[in-house]
This record gives sequence, C-alpha cells and structure tokens, in this order.
Amino acid sequence: MLPTDISQELDYDICIVGAGIAGMESALNLGDMGYRVLLVEKEASIGGKMILLSKVFPTLDCASCISTPKMASAAHHPNVTIMVYSEIDEIERKENGTFGVQMHQKPTYVDPNACIGCGQCETACTVAIPDEFNFNLDARRVAHIPFPQAVPKKAILQRNGQSPCNHTCPAGVKPHGYTSLVRAGLHDAAFELHLETTPLIGSLSRACYAPCEKECTRGEFEGSVQIRAIKRFIADRYYELNSEPNYGPVKERKDKRIAIVGAGPAGLNAAFQLARKGYDVTIFEAEEKAGGTMQYGIPDVRLPKDVLERDIKNVTALGVSIRTNTKVESLEKLKQDGFDAVFLGLGCSRTRSKREESADGTTSVKTKAPGRVRSPNTTPFADEIKLAANGVIEINKTLQTSLPYVFAGGDAVTGPLTITAAIGQGNQAAYFIEQFLQGHPLNAADLKELECTDKLAVIAREARLSTRKPTKLLKRENVSKEEGRKAAKLPLTEEEARYSANRCLDCGNCSECHQCVSVCPSNAIDFSMQPIHHQIKVGSVIIATGFELFDAHRKPTFGFGKYPNVVTAMQMDRLLSPTRPFNSVLRPSDGKEPDNIAFVLCVGSRDSQVDHRLCSRVCCMYTAKQAQLIMGSLPLADVTIYYIDIRAFGKGYDEFYEQAKGMGVDFVHGKVADITESSEDEGNLVVRFENLTEGKIEKREHDLVVLSVGLLPNTSAQGMFRGTSIEADNFRYIKEMDEDMEPGVTSIDGVFVAGAANAARDIPDTILHSGAAAVQAAAYIENLKGLVC
Amino acid sequence: MSIAAKKDDAPHILVFSTNNISDPGIDMAGSAHMHYSTQVQVISVPCSSGIKPTWVLHALESGFDGVFIAADGTDCAYLPDCTTRTGVLVKKTQDLLKEHGRSPKRLRMAAVCSVCSESFVSHMANFQKDIVKIASD
Ligand SMILES: Cc1cc2nc3c(=O)[nH]c(=O)nc-3n(C[C@H](O)[C@H](O)[C@H](O)COP(=O)(O)OP(=O)(O)OC[C@H]3O[C@@H](n4cnc5c(N)ncnc54)[C@H](O)[C@@H]3O)c2cc1C
Ligand code: SF4
Ligand code: SF4
Repeated sequence: MLPTDISQELDYDICIVGAGIAGMESALNLGDMGYRVLLVEKEASIGGKMILLSKVFPTLDCASCISTPKMASAAHHPNVTIMVYSEIDEIERKENGTFGVQMHQKPTYVDPNACIGCGQCETACTVAIPDEFNFNLDARRVAHIPFPQAVPKKAILQRNGQSPCNHTCPAGVKPHGYTSLVRAGLHDAAFELHLETTPLIGSLSRACYAPCEKECTRGEFEGSVQIRAIKRFIADRYYELNSEPNYGPVKERKDKRIAIVGAGPAGLNAAFQLARKGYDVTIFEAEEKAGGTMQYGIPDVRLPKDVLERDIKNVTALGVSIRTNTKVESLEKLKQDGFDAVFLGLGCSRTRSKREESADGTTSVKTKAPGRVRSPNTTPFADEIKLAANGVIEINKTLQTSLPYVFAGGDAVTGPLTITAAIGQGNQAAYFIEQFLQGHPLNAADLKELECTDKLAVIAREARLSTRKPTKLLKRENVSKEEGRKAAKLPLTEEEARYSANRCLDCGNCSECHQCVSVCPSNAIDFSMQPIHHQIKVGSVIIATGFELFDAHRKPTFGFGKYPNVVTAMQMDRLLSPTRPFNSVLRPSDGKEPDNIAFVLCVGSRDSQVDHRLCSRVCCMYTAKQAQLIMGSLPLADVTIYYIDIRAFGKGYDEFYEQAKGMGVDFVHGKVADITESSEDEGNLVVRFENLTEGKIEKREHDLVVLSVGLLPNTSAQGMFRGTSIEADNFRYIKEMDEDMEPGVTSIDGVFVAGAANAARDIPDTILHSGAAAVQAAAYIENLKGLVC
Repeated sequence: MSIAAKKDDAPHILVFSTNNISDPGIDMAGSAHMHYSTQVQVISVPCSSGIKPTWVLHALESGFDGVFIAADGTDCAYLPDCTTRTGVLVKKTQDLLKEHGRSPKRLRMAAVCSVCSESFVSHMANFQKDIVKIASD
C-alpha cells in the first residue's frame, strides 16, 4: 500500500472550541484557505458576546448588524461545520501530532432537521424562566429560540433535570405538567395530559398517597403545592362537563389480541395504553365489578364509586371489553383462544368486607383495614409460570415472566403495592408487550427518565420568594378549628386551583406539559432525545472560549442582586441594543425611564480584593459608548461616570472619550466605596465615593447605577487535555508561549488560542488575534501533511 | 379565498426577505409590537439574487399591488456580488413589468439588516403610500 499523508485520516483539519467572534473569524479564515473546520459551541447559537452588544466603540456601528452576516457566513461556509449546544469532553494529542476529540451534543429535545424555526412552541410553552441572553432582565419560555438572530434558528427546550414531582411519581404522571397547564387556564389540556399516563384520574385525585407533594420543593417554604387537590379540580371539572369520553376506538387497528387478567389499576392501565395503540384488548375479571382494590378496598367516602365508574369509561370507550365474573384458570387456554400476549394484573386477595345494602338501594363496601391482609392471587398459574417462594410471580426487568408472551405487574408481582405504583407497572407492561408483539428487543433502559433536578439549587434560586400560603392553610385562618378542618377538605374552586398552581416553582424548568408537542407543525419535539457522543480526529485545535464576565455579586458593598436598580454593563448593553428586551431604557424596580444614571468603572478589575489585578481593557470604552447611547435615547438624562483613570489607548479612542465629555457626560475622578438604597426616593441609590481630585468622601444620589464589570479568564479549556494541561499565565488566561513573536501559540504543540481566551481584548484586537491563530493552525496542518503514515 | 383577498384598503404587498439577514429584522418588528399593515405578506428566500422576474410579475398579476425585496446588501452569506446581481435582476424585472403594462415603481428593493425592524416598518408605510400615488396617476 502506498503511504498516505496523515491529514487524509482526519475528520476535520481543525477543531475550534467556542464560536464567539474569535472562533467564527478563525473558522472563516481557515475555511477560505480550504481547510475543513469543525466549530464547537456550548450555547444554542453561535455569536458569543458580540451579538448581544448594542453598538461597538469607537465607530458606533451596530454590533448585531455586523455579527449576523459573520454568523450566517460561518453557518453556510462549505468548509465549516457547526455543532452548537455541544461540549468537549476530552482532547488527546496523539504521538503523530494529530488530536482525538471526544465531545457530545447536549439534547435540545427538538429535532434540528425538522424544526422550521416558526416559534409556535415558544408561544404555547407554559413555563417562563429568566432569559439568560438578556442577562435575566426579562423572561422567556422553556421552549425557545435563543434570540431572533440566532444561528441556527432552531428551537430548544432547556430542561434542567426533571422536576421532583414528575421524577418521583411511580405511575409516571406529570404533576408539574398539569399544574403549569392549570396555571395557564388550560384545564382541558391538563386533563388530556393526565390521560396520556392513566385513565384513572378521578380515582387518583382521591386515593393517591401523593408522593409528589412530599417531594415538592415548595414544601421547603410555606408548604407544598396542593398537587392532588389540583388534580381533583381537573378531574371533577372535566367529568362535570363530559359525562362520557369524547373519543371512540382507535381507527388504525393492529392485528394482535391481548388478554389482560385482572381489572385492577395495573390491568386497566395496561389495557388502556394498548388499546390506544390499536390492539384488540379483553380484560378478564373474577369479581362482579372492575376496579380491583379501588372497587373493593377503598371506602366510598374516600373514593365515590361513580368517579371510579367514570374513570373506567375512559378505558371501555376505546373498545376494551371487560368480562367480569370470569376467572382465568389457564394461560395455555388463552393462547389457544387466539391471544398473542397476556398481562397478569392479578392483585392480591384480601379479607373481603361485607357488602352493605343501604336504604336507598346503593351498596357500599366497608373494610376496616383496607389492603392490610393481602396475598397474591397467583395460585392457578403455579404450573405454567415460575413463582417465588412467597407466591409472587417471577419476572425480569421488562416485566416478562418465564413464559415469553406473558407479562405481569401490580401486587401479584411485588406483593401489596399502592394504586399509583400499580398504574406505573401497567404502563410499563404495555410498553414492553408492544415491543414484544412488534418483534423489537426488550430493553429496560428504554424507560429511563432524565435525572432529578438539584433541589438545593432550586431553593437557592428562589431565596427571595414571596410568601403564598397553600389554600388549605389559608382556609383555617380566622375560623374555628372544626370549621377550618371542614373548609380545608373542600375541593378547590377554579380560582383556588389557579392560585395553587401559581405556587409552583418550575423546578426543572420544563413541566412536560407537552403543549409544544401539540402545536409544533413539523413534529420536531422529541422528549426521548439523548446526548450524542462523537469521537473526532483533527489535525489541530484552536481554543476560542472567550471570557467570563465578573460576577457583580462578588462586590457585596455595591448592592447588585440586593437593589434592583443596580445593574451590570452587560445588562445596560442589552437595554440599548436593537434586540433589547424593552423598547426603551427602563430601570428594573418600577419600569421608569431613568434620568440620572451613574456608571462605576473597574468593578472586578484592578482589584486585589477579588483577586483580579488586571485592567479589563474594554470597560472605559464601552462605558463611554453606553453613556453616549443613553444620551441619544434619553436626551434629558444626566450621566455620571466614576473612574480611577480613563484608559483610551486605541486609534480614535481618546477622541471617543472626549466626544462623550463634550456631550455632557460628567466624569468624576472618584473611587466608589459603597452603594445603598435611598431612604427618601424609592428605588434610588446613594453612591458614596472618595473624590480623588479633592481627597474628600462624598455622596450622590442616582436613579440607576450601572456596574462596569470586568472580563475574567474562562478556565473551562484548561482541564480539557488528556495527560497534560494547557499552561495558563499568572492571571489564569491561556498562556502564549512567546507573545511578542508567536501570537496564538500555546504550551501544547498544535493547540492555538484566539481572542479573549488569551487576554481581555476588544473586538478589533480579537479579530486580528484570531487571524493570527488561524494562520498558525494552517501552518501546523501543512507540516503534518509532510508526515506519512 | 384568493391570496389577494383584502382585509383593508391599504395596498397589498408581497415581501421577499432573505432568511439569514432580513428575516430576523422583520421578525423582530413583530415581536417588538411595532405596527405595520396586515396587508404585508412575507416570503423568505435564501438569497435575493435567486428571485425570478416572472415571480414578481406573477405576484402583481395575482392581485398584489407591489413587491418589495428586502435584500442583504453586502452581508449576503452566499455571494460576495449578491447586491450587483440583485440590482441586475431588479432592472430586468422592471423592464418585464413595463412590457406588461405595469409600473416599474411597483417593485422596490432596499437592504434590511437583521435588526432593521424600524426601517422595515417605515419602508412598508412609504411603499404603500407611493403605490396609492401610482394608482391615482
Ligand atoms: C458590556 C461589554 C461591552 C462591550 N462592548 C464592546 C464594544 O463596544 N466594542 C468592542 O470592541 N468590544 C466590546 N466588548 C468586548 C467584546 O465583548 C470582546 O472583545 C469579544 O466578545 C471577544 O470575543 P471572543 O470570541 O474572544 O469571546 P466571547 O464573545 O466570549 O465568545 C466565546 C464563545 O465561546 C463559547 N464557549 C466558551 N467556553 C466554551 C466551551 N468550553 N466549549 C464550547 N464553547 C465555549 C461561548 O459560549 C462563546 O460563544 C464588550 C464587552 C462587554 C462585557
Ligand atoms: S414549533 Fe416546532 S418547528 Fe416551530 S420552532 Fe418550535 S420546534 Fe421548531
Ligand atoms: S413540555 Fe410544556 S413546559 Fe416543556 S417545553 Fe414543552 S410546552 Fe414548555
């Protein structure tokens, strides 16, 4: 075989990590030279910080107007491949000088090939959360397109683990989902969502032990969301309006027949799910009535039987026939009768209570200790399938018994369970029976759900929550104990249900309400999406991960996070941008247009208290820019800038600073000590500072204060390399080994750094530096080509 | 209902907008609740130079009163000479319109950038005003 050059083996010539202006610029340069580039970005859109800025100094060109074309060019360049919402796991340098990159694309829960970017999911989504692209100035939905200029313009569902209630429900019900639907006034949709999991909504709303409420994060505050009461509101309202289900048997039939033995919660659920798939389902029930434990084990006062009957109609409406008073004795016989699969939801036999006929002809069941003395009803099948010593049926993880066409769940498998858990098993059995009938492999991992969200993080996020007591507590206030107890037991009115739903904290962001699924015109939403892992061979790597913003909370005396009218410069850039959250510059506390605005320079820069002694290079200039833009949009506003000294070093920068002064910006040579809220004017702020010219301590009042936060190194790339780490400088930026003569060259041969990942830089400097890094990477690839393998 | 079924009396305008650059700007006009006539309909295309003169004629013959090309200017992601090509296309189309006895002023082109929502809104108002004038000439 003829030797080939090493570069022929590569998937891409160069992998660029980070698609801000630096990464895009390097990618376009390299792409134009003919190199194949992979551009990896952790956010859902490329563009970095620049696309979020208002204008750029000193030209005052519109930042988004000049970045969108770059973003579009990168996305359409024939030599550039973009992977967004993706992260690098590890990069390994091979002996021959090439690199192995392990990375993964995070699930967006939207198929990017199907999504047409219409934004309908966004409008329908029932959960609003702070918008990180507007630095939390306003809200966005969980299903969203990051911003109008996003590239690619595709929706993502930003899930933050599964909400504790959804995660804990053994039946697989989505309490967060129906809660957010009730909050949105979509009561029918709430019922329909619940129906996706189980037909037994009314019964659960009375008899479920509500493990969701025990897990509810609001329980750590004034009391959990009254989830079961909300469910009862949904069921009662729906049944009141719809005495019969509004659907019939599924039109598209499948030619397989399934026997369900036992009409308890597990059996009814399995039957319901399979009938919805179009299978022919028959339930055999030994008793006179369907319902199992729910019929015979739970007293009427807790679960009125008309509610149960209505729940069962949800099953029979699908064409499921329930043969009561029919005891199944042989599984073989069922097979001979033409059933392709069997589900055993036998339940446990119990000490049957006496049926009591009352004067008005209704019957009721009295059980002293429902479900206490129960043993599995498995005896008839002892010869046909394997049983454990205690009489329960042996099954594998996919609920399959020793006879492959027979599946089992509920009390007969586990010993006494709750209705809720039995429902879960019925659902799982239905899934695996369908897999079995379709000839697919049975894989227990299929039903894996997302991890539970981090409750402590939710509690921390909600630290400033206002108090909203549960209605059951409110109703006990100012009445006698007895009255209070009675009132608290009453079902919720619509108003109370919505009030209760509004107490939900949206722990995992997405509630799984499935509104997005219902409205998406191209069926793009896919909740089963998993991370996609890639192993990629490249010849060179460019790190363009940019900078981190200084977290203003770290200067507590400046009141950020405590006083709403103290904002950061990034937030001010958003307020001034053409893609701004509001149509004007407004202050957060009351939406008023501010008329006396102060900027504090060097917040988190040149400050050894926060261990960051470097100058951030751009803050003086972006502040002069913002001051000029504010004077343009709020001509009557006074603008003050507190500075230590002004660093206007670039071409035209000093002129830009003078221009700001000329426009009337008050530059105060002062070092700010602290910021407090004014006791007189609500929301106003008092800035206390040392006047450096006169050597005095002074105070001034403003109605909005902007902290000109500095740029910090992004250290995320430093742990990426296997067996070695990329060297950092004294300030934790990625180090250039010879910054005078070899821009972009790092401590790892073949790895280069571009833009603000290496030092605080403005955009023109970033673009220059990215060009240099691109050329270094190209030269490295050319050298590789000389090597043969 | 024909595509040109009118909801109000304002001239009916078809906009060809480019999906990378002009579309986000036009989208944003909507999401920022800026007002422009409901008589404006937008179709997006990848690159303005791909529009065919016959499409414009077809639009006018189907009942639109004017066609507006929201172009990328020099920002096109596909072609460095997109503006020149679109310019040629506009000239050709105007000739075709004249041949068919329609005013060339019923076609207009302007660059609309990714955040040009306000300018798009004023373009629409002016174009509609000018079309009313053409009609009364
Ligand atoms: C408030 C403010 C205003 C400014 N105004 C101006 C101005 O007017 N003019 C001017 O010239 N400059 C201005 N700047 C500076 C400007 O923002 C920077 O020069 C520029 O953003 C640097 O570009 P970059 O691509 O190097 O970094 P970034 O913009 O930070 O981009 C880095 C990209 O890498 C991605 N990334 C990070 N880590 C990873 C990872 N591990 N894996 C994958 N992707 C990753 C990020 O998501 C991001 O998309 C301003 C800065 C601030 C804070
Ligand atoms: S509704 Fe569907 S097609 Fe439209 S943006 Fe959302 S996911 Fe994409
Ligand atoms: S399931 Fe509901 S909450 Fe989740 S993204 Fe879709 S619409 Fe939003």
